[in-house]
Amino acid sequence: MAARSRALDSADRIYFTLAALIGSVLLVYFASVPLLGLNVAFHFYLMLWITMASAFNVASGFAGYMPFGYVAFYGIGAFTTAILVKKAAFPLFLALPLSGVAGIVLALLFAPTLRLSGIYFGIVSLALAGICRLVITNMPEQLTGGSFGLQLGSRAHPVQSFYVMMAVMVVALATILWLSRSRLGKALRATRDDADAAEMMGVNVPIVRLYGWLISAFFPAVCGGVEAWYTNVVDTETAFNTLTTAKTVIYAVAGGLGTVTGPILGAVAMVWLDELIWRQFPLLNLLILGLATIILVLFLPRGIVGTLLRKKPQWRRYIP
Amino acid sequence: MELLILNGLVNGLIVGGIYALVGVSLTLLYGVLRVVNFAHGEFVIAGSFLAFVLFSSFGVPPLLAVPIAAVVFFAAGWGLYYVLIPRLARSDDPELMSFLMFYGVSIAAAALLLLLFEADSRTIDYTFTPVSMQVGPIYVSTARLVALAITIVVSIALALFLFKTLPGKALRAAIMNPEAIQIMGVDIVRLSAFAFALAAALAGVTGVLIALVFPAFNPFSGAEYTIIAFIVVVLGGLGNPVGALLAGVLFGLAEQMATVFLPQAMAQIVGFVILVGTIFFRPSGILGVRFKR
Amino acid sequence: MTVAIETRGLTKRFGGLVAVDKVDLRAAAGETLGIIGVNGAGKTTLMNCICGLYRPDDGGDVFVGGERVTGQAPHVVAHRGIGRTFQVPRVFRRMSLIDNLLVPVLDRKAPDAELIGRAEAMLERMQLIDLRHNHAEELSGGQQKLLEMARMLMPDPPIVMLDEPFAGVHPVLCKFMIERIEETAHAGKAVLLISHDLTSIYRLSTRVIALNQGRIIAEGGVDDIRGNPAVIEAYLGT
Ligand SMILES: Nc1ncnc2c1ncn2[C@@H]1O[C@H](COP(=O)(O)OP(=O)(O)OP(=O)(O)O)[C@@H](O)[C@H]1O
Ligand SMILES: [Mg+2]
Repeated sequence: MAARSRALDSADRIYFTLAALIGSVLLVYFASVPLLGLNVAFHFYLMLWITMASAFNVASGFAGYMPFGYVAFYGIGAFTTAILVKKAAFPLFLALPLSGVAGIVLALLFAPTLRLSGIYFGIVSLALAGICRLVITNMPEQLTGGSFGLQLGSRAHPVQSFYVMMAVMVVALATILWLSRSRLGKALRATRDDADAAEMMGVNVPIVRLYGWLISAFFPAVCGGVEAWYTNVVDTETAFNTLTTAKTVIYAVAGGLGTVTGPILGAVAMVWLDELIWRQFPLLNLLILGLATIILVLFLPRGIVGTLLRKKPQWRRYIP
Repeated sequence: MELLILNGLVNGLIVGGIYALVGVSLTLLYGVLRVVNFAHGEFVIAGSFLAFVLFSSFGVPPLLAVPIAAVVFFAAGWGLYYVLIPRLARSDDPELMSFLMFYGVSIAAAALLLLLFEADSRTIDYTFTPVSMQVGPIYVSTARLVALAITIVVSIALALFLFKTLPGKALRAAIMNPEAIQIMGVDIVRLSAFAFALAAALAGVTGVLIALVFPAFNPFSGAEYTIIAFIVVVLGGLGNPVGALLAGVLFGLAEQMATVFLPQAMAQIVGFVILVGTIFFRPSGILGVRFKR
Repeated sequence: MTVAIETRGLTKRFGGLVAVDKVDLRAAAGETLGIIGVNGAGKTTLMNCICGLYRPDDGGDVFVGGERVTGQAPHVVAHRGIGRTFQVPRVFRRMSLIDNLLVPVLDRKAPDAELIGRAEAMLERMQLIDLRHNHAEELSGGQQKLLEMARMLMPDPPIVMLDEPFAGVHPVLCKFMIERIEETAHAGKAVLLISHDLTSIYRLSTRVIALNQGRIIAEGGVDDIRGNPAVIEAYLGT
């Protein structure tokens, strides 16, 4: 018994050491990007996609939903920051958290969809994102800037927004690391595997799902806000672009849903690949993204980390 | 006002017929193969582009493009089936993963169309003589009437096929009970490949009709038709071909009437609201029969 | 003797079909109530009504420890002290065995280490300890039944319900499970046991009820049931 507990402790130690290691590598690397004069834009978006894919993982990998309208949270966040800053003269550092709040409010509005499952949920999510886009598109032009979008004016500050994005990423990853070991995380996973059984085992399924859903909605909304600040402009076409959902899903799946490291690795690999392709064949970019998705589903449906853990189940306890 | 409404009704019927075809092919796919073809709109639009190429490069009139599209898309669908589906079946959750895979197909197909035809909207400059005909007190373009006629013919042929022929009955049986049919000695793989090819052929034909009915199309139009197909399929009951035909016409009518009474943007939202509302309040569709899920 | 679980006039309809028909049953602490009946008699539906998965019709009621729990959500009923297993195992496929056992006790105040220790002790008892880090989907069918039993016992509920624990289980494992069920009853829990294996039912049960078309057609001690003509008729047909 005692020996067993000790073994468990050592597994935990490896787990958290690995997590700390990965965390500090990411931290040091990204922190030094502006200092060393590396490509700020590339790394900004890398962090954005790591955050998006990781937050998406909470809804899909942990809770078992496939929100194909995930971009709605991102778009609402982008517009919240833009409108608050531009029209209500809010300071940015107040507007950004409010973007997250907007994401949570939207997630609460969508909460009734959580009783759907499988493709029904996916389709409804897609439709709701479409409705969001149309509603914002048709709001008065004084508010949302119409088809020209909203310019944030002279507030752009790439390096500052870069570090804010980094902070958001760190908070997101820490949250998910916590979640993956927490009781809420276990309840979510049980709900994903068999909601009725989980309920009969005493899990308050609706509440647990709602918590997961809110976590999953908060971060993309903040990402939308930070990106609006970074690019200095927001319009409905880009803020609600379905490609944002596509990329988020693909990156998360590529790495492996349900693990902490999966979406990070997936985002890093795919964003890097994307950039490479983009430079070489700018026209073929979309085509290759599409083909990559097909190949991924057919040949690596569990993603990089998921496939590895399938081959080496005994590593599950050590790899975050 | 009455004229407007009448116009809306006639056009709703024509557009609805097309929506019905878009939906019926998607629902066949879902029913038999349990895959969610997110790229369905791109399949359809590829049919429009085929008609465009046939006409502008080879002078083939759209009417002749209909059978050509059917054959070409049938063959392409057959091939695509063997590339995509058997492997997909091995994943943990094939239904949901199919959604993602066809997401990829949709992106790739749209990108391919974009590479081939660029982002400009295309039209087929083919005109029937006379250009339009009088239906009661209103005038309707001949192209639209021809499209309606083809839609009706195709629908009837499909219904006869599904209900009167042996392979058609096998398809319906596969929709209702995929496990049982395997025991009955039907080669489910061939049947699935056939269903995929048939759905692709229907999508291709629908694309040609769209080139006749709507003024223009471009590589991005696919996404719109995918959404419409989803609305129709859900409204008709997932996997129910008869329901899809009915739902298509109904939705076409609703949409056209909405454009009469509501501003353009609202009309678009109506579609999404119908979709969400159906799933929440009548998940088995208007006919209320859900084929085995 | 304190009545741990009781139903009064419990009824459940599916459309026109009455799956459970005015069932009154009671089981005291330490007692094992066997539930028998042909396929489709309504045994599983009865359990589903008791644990709150189905809402009973026609004013039927469920009482746990004397308190009415009718219409409460399943997780609330579970916290009142009902654990169960399923006819077809429903384990949490992509979670480790330890995590599977932790699910029913997630809301306990006890520190994680203590709960994990208890989970390991339970797995030890069920002879699953060597597989504790495996995902549940990697277990065999029989092992999944054991895992379910362990998960059911984890929160130490006063009432446990087992739905055909011996179906598809090798005799050796069957014997092992019978011993675990006996222990459970001796520990003072009320046990509801569904099984088609009459030998095991007769061995374990203090009382038996026989269901047919949702109705109780016989009730009593093992000996009463064994010779009951109504039961024999329902089982062997006429
Ligand atoms: N969810 C449901 N919807 C409709 N009918 C149901 C449902 N669940 C059970 N039934 C019906 O209720 C009746 C009782 O079913 P139940 O599963 O309780 O039988 P059982 O006694 O457990 O049988 P078995 O020994 O085969 O497990 C059956 O006729 C069954 O068809
Ligand atoms: Mg049963």
